[in-house]
Amino acid sequence: MTALLSLNGVSMHFSREADSRYAVFGGINLTVSAGECVALVGRNGSGKSTLLRVMAKIFAPTSGSVSWAPGVAVSLLTLGLGFRQDLSGRDNAFLSCLLMGLSRKEAKEALSDIEAFCELGQFFDEPVNKYSAGMRARLGFGTALMNRSQVVLIDETLSVGDAFFREKARIALEQEFNEHRAVVLVSHAEQQVERLCDRAILLEQGEITAEGHPGAVLAAYADLTAN
Amino acid sequence: MTFNQTVTLVDTLARFHLKGESRQYFFGYLWWVLEPLLYVGVFYLVFEILLDSRQPDFLYFLMVGKLSFIWFSKSVNQAASSLEANKGLMAQTHLRKELFPLAVIHQGFYRQLVVFIFLICFLLMGGYLPSAVWLWLIPITLLQAMLITACGLLGALLVSFKRDFRLLIQLGMVFLLFMSGIFWDLNVIADTRLREGLLVLNPLANLIDCYRQVLMLGEAPNGMRLAWVLGESLLLLIIVWAAYSRLQFWIARQVVTR
Repeated sequence: MTALLSLNGVSMHFSREADSRYAVFGGINLTVSAGECVALVGRNGSGKSTLLRVMAKIFAPTSGSVSWAPGVAVSLLTLGLGFRQDLSGRDNAFLSCLLMGLSRKEAKEALSDIEAFCELGQFFDEPVNKYSAGMRARLGFGTALMNRSQVVLIDETLSVGDAFFREKARIALEQEFNEHRAVVLVSHAEQQVERLCDRAILLEQGEITAEGHPGAVLAAYADLTAN
Repeated sequence: MTFNQTVTLVDTLARFHLKGESRQYFFGYLWWVLEPLLYVGVFYLVFEILLDSRQPDFLYFLMVGKLSFIWFSKSVNQAASSLEANKGLMAQTHLRKELFPLAVIHQGFYRQLVVFIFLICFLLMGGYLPSAVWLWLIPITLLQAMLITACGLLGALLVSFKRDFRLLIQLGMVFLLFMSGIFWDLNVIADTRLREGLLVLNPLANLIDCYRQVLMLGEAPNGMRLAWVLGESLLLLIIVWAAYSRLQFWIARQVVTR
């Protein structure tokens, strides 16, 4: 399998006060290869989201190195990226596509797919501030699916909308991924991790404490939360 | 992201922001002209009616100065807050950070084009006749856009370092309002060296004086003075651009984790 993304001894510190620093995580070694779906599990505040941001080039690590395979695009799959409440669903979807790196032409072409996926009807041309939470989530998910990056990082994105939409979203996501792409998923939903992922990593107090088959890692996580 | 994609994104962010903003108000896009006119109205009331400024054609004099100044102050103030305002977006996606202040500056440029068209119509109605000299408006406007870009990018960088700079920038705008000859004529300073020094140190005052020379006196501006503004803006732009190139991750960390 081709390695798309590697983290070597990656550490991250944030400044809490003017003169004190705290470690979010340290010494993380991780490789993500094409065709893989990796789950990141751990308690709130364990550094999962920050680690995704390091992988997505949003933050540079304090120490260690991150290497991406040449030409590989990495992005954080975000619901409602750059959405403005006073713009229509169509305008927001177009803007979001541009923010994901699509060209104007590609973004315009993507609009019909997004419109069909979201099933918003006439609301697609109404301002988003008239939408219910579920409609916003549908628009956000339909737009996020247009992400063409080879490495897609997902932070709790799948648990949106009603049961029907969640199932539709899951199927759409599974169809999107193939042997050339990779997914890193942060999730607390055990079923989702077991069904989608090939490998799981448990992050606890800034370190990888378990790695391997999702079932085994989830069991280790359950032990941790039970204690 | 390619250069074309970046330009498209900046332009779309600017246009969509203007569209969204206009939907929030009853008068919508009319505010582009109404807001600066109300400012002019207040200044006219104070300096002409209450204080009797004795400046010939004071209303036109004030409009040329104040409308150019508002473009500068509003764009720089908004650009300075733009990184903070897009904190959420910055935490979600990897984008070059200068895109945010640039989009805000671009919005201001769109708005100002409408304001300038209105100003020209107003001058024509006031009996100011257009001539070939008015073509100088194009380079002067572009120079002001360049100055705004350099100052707006610098402001955003400083505010991402410490929020306190936002207050200092607002205070700086009040200082500039008094030092740029908005409601008084810089040419009344008798000491030539002092006047020229002031124009070199304050490129905005220099540009406002050039606008008046072209629009009200029908004279071409002094090329040397425009060259000064070009040099100052370009130098600042190069320095700030280099700073952004080096500080991309630092900015994200400063703003997102604040």
